[in-house]
This record gives sequence, C-alpha cells and structure tokens, in this order.
Amino acid sequence: GAHAKMASPKTVPKDAQVMMQILKDMGITEYEPRVINQMLEFTYRYITTIIEDAKIYSTHAKKSTVDADDIRLAIQCRVDQSFISPPPRDFLLDIARQKNQTPLPLIKPYTGPRLPPDRYCLTAPNYRLKSLQKKVSSSAGRITVPRLSVGAVSSRPSTPTLGTPSVQTVGTKVGTPVSLTGQRFTVQIPSSQAASVKSATPTTPTVQNVLINPSLIGSKNILITTNMVSQNSSGDSTSLKRKHEDEDDYDAL
Amino acid sequence: MAAVQDGPMELDTEKETKPEILSDGTSKLSGNAASGTLSSSPLTAGGAPKQEDQQTLIAVLQFLRRNKLSESVEILRREAGLEDQEDSQTLDGSGGGKGDRDGGEANSLLSRVSITSAAAPQSTLTPITVKRANEQLDVSVVLSAYSQQGDPSLYQVYYSGLKNFIESVLDCHRAELSQLFYPLFVHMYLELVYNNHENEAKAFFEKFGGDQECYYQDDLRVLCGLTKKEHLKGNEVLLDFRTSRFVLRISRDSYQLLKRHLQERHNNQIWNIIQEHLYIDIFDGMPRSKSQIDSMSGSFAGEARREVNKVKVFHGLLKEPEIEVPLDDEEDEAENEEGKPKKKKTKKDSMGSKSKKQDPNAPQQNRIPLPELKDSDKLDKIMYMKESTKRIRLGPENLPSICFYSFLNAYQGLTAVDFTDDSSLLAGGFADSTVRIWSVTPKKLRKVKSAGELNLIDKESDDVLERIMDEKTASESKILCGHSGPVYSVSFSPDRNYLLSSSEDGTVRLWSLQTFTCLVGYKGHNYPVWDTHFSPFGYYFVSGGHDRVARLWATDHYQPLRIFAGHLADVTCTRFHPNSNYVATGSTDRTIRLWDVLNGNCVRIFTGHKGPVHSLAFSPNGKFLASGSTDGRVLLWDIGHGLMIGELKGHTDTIYALKFSRDGEILASGSMDNTVRLWDSTKAFDDVETDDFTAATGHIHLPDNSQELLLGTYHSKSTPVTHLHFTRRNLLLAAGGYSSQ
Repeated sequence: GAHAKMASPKTVPKDAQVMMQILKDMGITEYEPRVINQMLEFTYRYITTIIEDAKIYSTHAKKSTVDADDIRLAIQCRVDQSFISPPPRDFLLDIARQKNQTPLPLIKPYTGPRLPPDRYCLTAPNYRLKSLQKKVSSSAGRITVPRLSVGAVSSRPSTPTLGTPSVQTVGTKVGTPVSLTGQRFTVQIPSSQAASVKSATPTTPTVQNVLINPSLIGSKNILITTNMVSQNSSGDSTSLKRKHEDEDDYDAL
Repeated sequence: MAAVQDGPMELDTEKETKPEILSDGTSKLSGNAASGTLSSSPLTAGGAPKQEDQQTLIAVLQFLRRNKLSESVEILRREAGLEDQEDSQTLDGSGGGKGDRDGGEANSLLSRVSITSAAAPQSTLTPITVKRANEQLDVSVVLSAYSQQGDPSLYQVYYSGLKNFIESVLDCHRAELSQLFYPLFVHMYLELVYNNHENEAKAFFEKFGGDQECYYQDDLRVLCGLTKKEHLKGNEVLLDFRTSRFVLRISRDSYQLLKRHLQERHNNQIWNIIQEHLYIDIFDGMPRSKSQIDSMSGSFAGEARREVNKVKVFHGLLKEPEIEVPLDDEEDEAENEEGKPKKKKTKKDSMGSKSKKQDPNAPQQNRIPLPELKDSDKLDKIMYMKESTKRIRLGPENLPSICFYSFLNAYQGLTAVDFTDDSSLLAGGFADSTVRIWSVTPKKLRKVKSAGELNLIDKESDDVLERIMDEKTASESKILCGHSGPVYSVSFSPDRNYLLSSSEDGTVRLWSLQTFTCLVGYKGHNYPVWDTHFSPFGYYFVSGGHDRVARLWATDHYQPLRIFAGHLADVTCTRFHPNSNYVATGSTDRTIRLWDVLNGNCVRIFTGHKGPVHSLAFSPNGKFLASGSTDGRVLLWDIGHGLMIGELKGHTDTIYALKFSRDGEILASGSMDNTVRLWDSTKAFDDVETDDFTAATGHIHLPDNSQELLLGTYHSKSTPVTHLHFTRRNLLLAAGGYSSQ
C-alpha cells in the first residue's frame, strides 16, 4: 500500500483540507490519498440526499422554505434505512433467554452426514431436465438436443453467484440439419461455472459441459454447450453429495 | 431514597429460580421495596403477559419514586395489586407523561423503529414478545435518561471538587478512588450533551479530557466527536454504556471515605450520578495498588463484579474412550498409552480402573449431547495416539522448529487460515470471498466422482474408498466460491469432512471436503461474522459477529441452538473449550466471556485488555486461557478461579494468533509486527500454583516477568502472522500473507 503523501496545503481545496483535519482528529494518520476523494464523494452524496429529502418534506408540509425540522426528519429517516445498526442489547438478551431455555437436542446415532433438512441446504440442483428427445428417424447426421427447461425447485436460498440457465427450446422437427442452421441456441452458463470450468468446483451438482458434434453445425450457428446432468441423474443427483455409505432414508429427515 | 436505582431487567432474574445474574450484566436489585411489591402482587401461574405488565409497572413505580411523586406511587401500588386493566390505563397515562419529557418521545419513537426493523429477521418471536421488548426498551431508555443534575455550568466545579478531594487523600486510597474519574467524566459529559448543553460539554471535555488514563484515549476521541444529542442516537455502544453500569471495585475503607466526603457536602450531584450509573463492588481487604488496578481495567463497563466469576466451571477434560488397537504393529508395544490394551490382560484392567476415577473438575460425559465415535473417528484416534508417541517434548531448552507458510500474491487479501488437526490440509479465506484449500502433504486433493462414474466402479472391492475418488481432477488446491463478501474465518472439522467459513455477508457456510462444494449456508447473524470455530468433537460450531452475540449451531439445525448475548460490542473471537462444554468469546469491548453451552449462561468475565481481543487459546489441560489483543499483550487467565495470572508483554502490534503446544508447555503467539514469540507457559502457570490467592478479593500482584518467560522471538520477512498450529509431533506451523511493504 502507499503511504499517505500529503499534497502541499496550497494546492489542496478547502473541502479536502477539512476532510484531512477530520481524519486527523479521529486519530487516523495513515491512509491512501484516494481516501480523501472517496470521503468527499460520500459526503457530497449524503448531503444531497438529505437535502433532497428535506425539500420533499417541506413541500409536503406546504412550507415555503426548507428549515431545520425538515432536515432533522430527513436525517432520522435515512438513518433507519441506510445505516442499520445491530439490534439493541435488551432485545438480544431477550431472545437469548428464550433460545437458551430449550435443552440441547439429542443427537441421533448413525445418520450419515448431519445436515439440516434439504430445504435449508444448498445441495439441490437448481434446474432439472425434462424428458429427452422425441421419436427419432434413422436419417443420419441429425442432432437431437434434449430439451432443457428450468423448473423452479422448491424454495431454497439461492447462492448469489449462480444464475439460472435459460434456454430456448429447440424445435426438433424431423428434418434436415438445415433446420438447425436458422436457429441460434443460447444457453446462459452461470458465470461462475464458465469461469471455473478449469477448476473443479461449481457450487451445485457436478455437471459436464457437453459439446454437440460440431460437424453438424452450419456456419451461422454458434457452438452449443449445454449443461446436462449425467444420464442416471434426476432422482439420484442428490446422492452425488453423499458418501456412499449413506442411508436411503436420508431425505426423510 | 437510599435504594440504588435499577433498570427493569433484573426483575427477570429475581423471578427465575437459578441465579442468572450474568445474562444481562446489569446490577442486582438491591432496593428491597420494589421486590417487595413484586412478591406481594399476585403473580398468576400461567400469565406470561401478566408478568411483563408487572415489570413495566415496577419500572413506572421506580420512575415515579425517583421524581418524588410519592402520592402517585402509593395510589399506583395500591391499585397494582387489584386489576390489570387499570394498570394498563395508568401505564398509558404515565406513558403519556413520560412522553412529555425532553427527548423521551423521540427516543421511544426511534427505539420502536429500531426494534421493528430488527424484529423482522427474527421470525421465531411472537408479536407479544416483540411488543414487550418494545415497552421495556422504552421504559429502560427513559429511566436511564440523563436527568439534569443541577446547573450545567457547575459541572466543572463538581468535577474539580472531586478531583481535589481525591488528590488530598492518603496514597493507599488514592489509586482506588482515581478509578472514579473516567466513568464520572464520561457520564457527566454525556449528561451535558444529552440535555443540549453543547458548549458546556465541550468546555468540560477540554478541561478534563486530558487527565484520563492513557488506555481510555481512543474512547475519548470517539466521545469528543459527539457533541449533540442526535449523535448519541445511532451509537449502540454508547447506548449500552449508558444503560449498563460501570463496575468499580473499591475497598471498604476507601469507599467509606468517599461516601463521607460526598454526603457531607450540600450539593451531592456527584453522589447521585454515582448511584445511578456506577456500581461499586465493595470488598474487605487491602486497597489495591495502581498497577493492580491498571492490569484489570480497560473495558467498556469497568471490571467484573466478584460474584460474576464465582460460578463453578467444569474445566477438566472429558475421558478418552477406550479403543482397541490392533497389535500387529511392532512399534506400538513400547509405549504405555491410555486406552491401549496391553498384551497381558492384567495390565489392561489396571488401565481401566485408573481412568474410571472421575476428575472433579471435569463435566459429566453426557452433560451435553455429543456425537458418538464412528469407525473412521476411531481410526483417527489410533493414528493420533501413534503420532503422539513420536511427539517431541518441548521446553525452555528444547524449542520447537517453526515452519512458516507465506501466501504469496495474495495482495493483502488473506484474512483467515486454518490447518486440520493432523496438518494435512490448509485452508485460506480471502477478501475476494473465496476459500482455497491446499494439501500440505504431497498427496493431492481429490473429490468424489460424479454419479455416472460411481455407478461403474466395483463396489465390493477392498479399496472402494479409493476408487470413489476422481483421479482426473486431482489438484494441489481447490477453490470454493460461494460467499458474497470477504471471508473472515475458516475452521476445519476434526474428522476432516467439513470446512466452515464465515464472512462479511452475514452467513456461515459449511463446505464438504469430499466434493468441495457448499452444503449449507447458516443465516442468523445479519451482520459480518468475524469468527467461527468447530467443536473439538465435531457437530457443534460457534460463530461470533458484529451483532454482539455469539451463536452456537449444530450442523443439522438451520437455526442456532444457543445465543450468547451480553457483550457490549462486536464479538471478534470465539473458541471452544477442549471438553466442548464451554465457549470463550473475545470482543471489541475488551472483555473475554466464558459461556456454558448447556444453558447459555455467562460464567466468567475477564477484563484487563486495553484493546479489542482478537485471539484466544485454551491450554490443552483445559485449565487456562490465553488471550491476545490489539494492545500487544498476551494475558493468561485461570478459568477455575476466574483470575488473571499472567501478562506477557513484548509484541508491539495486534496479536492475531495464539496456540499452546500439544502438552501445554509452550505458548506461541504471532502478531502483526511480523514476529512469532515463544513463551514458557509451564513456568507462568507454575508460579501461580504456589501463590496465595486471597480468594476473597482475588487480587494478585502480577510479577513483571515477561522477559524471563520469553523464550524466543522469530522475525518473518515482512509477513504478519495470521495463524499458528502445532502438529501432532510439536512442530510449529505458522501462516501469513506476504505483504511487500
């Protein structure tokens, strides 16, 4: 990190001088020079927000000018919104007392990995495959692409880094590959997976990037990569996560 | 009105059968009148709401009494015993009266707002409880509101009067009475600010601010920025300072002296302030010296009251289970370890009988539910015992070797490190919200194969556990993505199956080390979680964060099992005791609290640090606790007696890493000043054993022997030390992120 290089006082605008003085009063002596700019930006943004709010309140109260009460009200409302502080101590003591009254639950023996019910885990796949291709005629060289649809799996906390793949279903008319050339398939791969293709950790069940045979793709088409869970998935995909000495009735927990 | 005033909280403690005096940190109810009222009024058995009404009623009574409305008090008390409806009406009536007070209304409005915004995430609370907390907060806030104590411009006169008196007192008493200066100063200053006497407040601060002790200077700097009442509102720490009572320990002689002086003067403003805001814990004995006082003070709420640290703590270790060791290894025969069956049957029996004797300081095996040992755990234990036979005995003549793992190119983003117990894996938490795991041994990291491939393997083969691992993606390190904020702490489970990470996004995540994916996100803190730690037996873990509480979780419950509330500021460090029955938390309020897992009570409060506590370590025998903070000192505490028994000075910057060696002979500390220091803990604890504790006062004179106890200082190349770990053979591993300046 850079040491603080103080610009000579003559070239520093007054606002910045005030900010430097505030930092010094609060005991902060080492900081990067950009901190002053960031603090000034924050100050400017905060003050304009407050004054704008105060203007709204004063017109609401049908006053001709903005006065101190409006500003006070604006500050109070903003404090509750943007600067949320942790709950007060009485409240915490109260809920602690409630929580601590229940005895510790007994631990069931031999239940495999001890995890909360599936609803509260992040182990479910966040999409599922619908049924596979329609009836296939024997003409060679045709791609049949499994239709992917995104089903909303039961409510579960979604990880922020994972986007839901969206797919345009392909019309698999029985016909020539030519019909494919007019279509563009886009599958949005969640960015974390795209980035971490080389590393081994997507955050949801293991998927494989499958390359459709490129020989069938015309000049205009883009490469299709779909995320498919391997064939014997659907019900068993959750078992990927478990050690194989698992019990079958895990989901009944 | 000789009774000392209290907030409504301790009325709860009076009702509960167990003396849970520590759960709220406020003083005991010493006024008997209010409790007399409480016992006389008919408390119906099933009425929880009725009890709450009674509490608020008592609070109102106190309020009226304080303002000398004695007739109203009588009327209210008479009617309180009869009907509840009238009570609620009188409550509203007096509530209206309260609202007229200066600032009371705004306060209650604001506190209601803050309650409702905080109540939203807590879905388990019923509306009744929230409303009750509401009313109680209103009442306590108003009760503790700073009332005008005479003319504001005379505050300086009062304070200097007290100052002159204390300076004129005998030497032996002066040190003790000087403890009064700081809390009085702060309360008087806050009182002036609260009642809108800004100029007087500033003048008061300027005149007397510089006199205070040096270790309070940071707090004073924050204070001098608060000059208006509005500034006080958002500041939780100061609100807590206001409502909780600063504890001072003064000997009886000094106290009598003070009392006599203050009561004989006509304007006893200071006496009123002392009664309202300070709690004076009187002890019989010699007055303490300045150094003794200095070593114990520094926290936000003064010291800890003596009865706080008198609860029995089971600090002994749990018995190790007996495990059959396969006798096909030749090398096992030599050592005589506990639990290992000997070839001769008679010897095994004698081992068994020895371990049956219960350590009186150890908790019962089933005091808290613990997971049973699986076969894999038993194998681990056998490995552990084998390794421990090869352990090097450390001592002042035999210092450990230190192996330092520097994280290069981390760009100062390394925020947390942890090693597994057998030192095979290393995890690092980073400011870019990733967690990375490295293999310390040459063996690469492998994850379990996908479902398709698992179908194909031969499930009956002997090495099936090897076959389920995917060789194709084996690598030296794995990255775990999932958090949305810097990862402040990582912790491996003892069985090496799970990793916990806590982050600024308010969640604690459980990762599987078989598949290197995230399994669960535990949401509870809605604020940054500064530390998390797995229990030594697995299954439980504790986390502490910015919301000033520590939470105990079990991996299979999505909500916490226990909430440890009581700290006045963020909980920065959380550790389990080796017997998993207690949790220690260090906090920014400079105290360390020990909590009982069984019922969530605070059983010990240790004060003495002068800065936020950032590292904690239990000794392997469970008797002692070491703590390090931003003031560069390591303090040693005796858990059983609840006393400070050592102070290790030497570091010049925050101490973030503390670890005892495997047998507890050496304490290693690592700090931001790029050094690792080794201390002789056997000697530090031995000296204490022979001393006379004077258990009544519990005041020990600490010898200044840091230099003797320091065994070595080892500098790294500009790498602050983030974590320390002793391997099973007592090799010291250290980790830190290389910072190039």
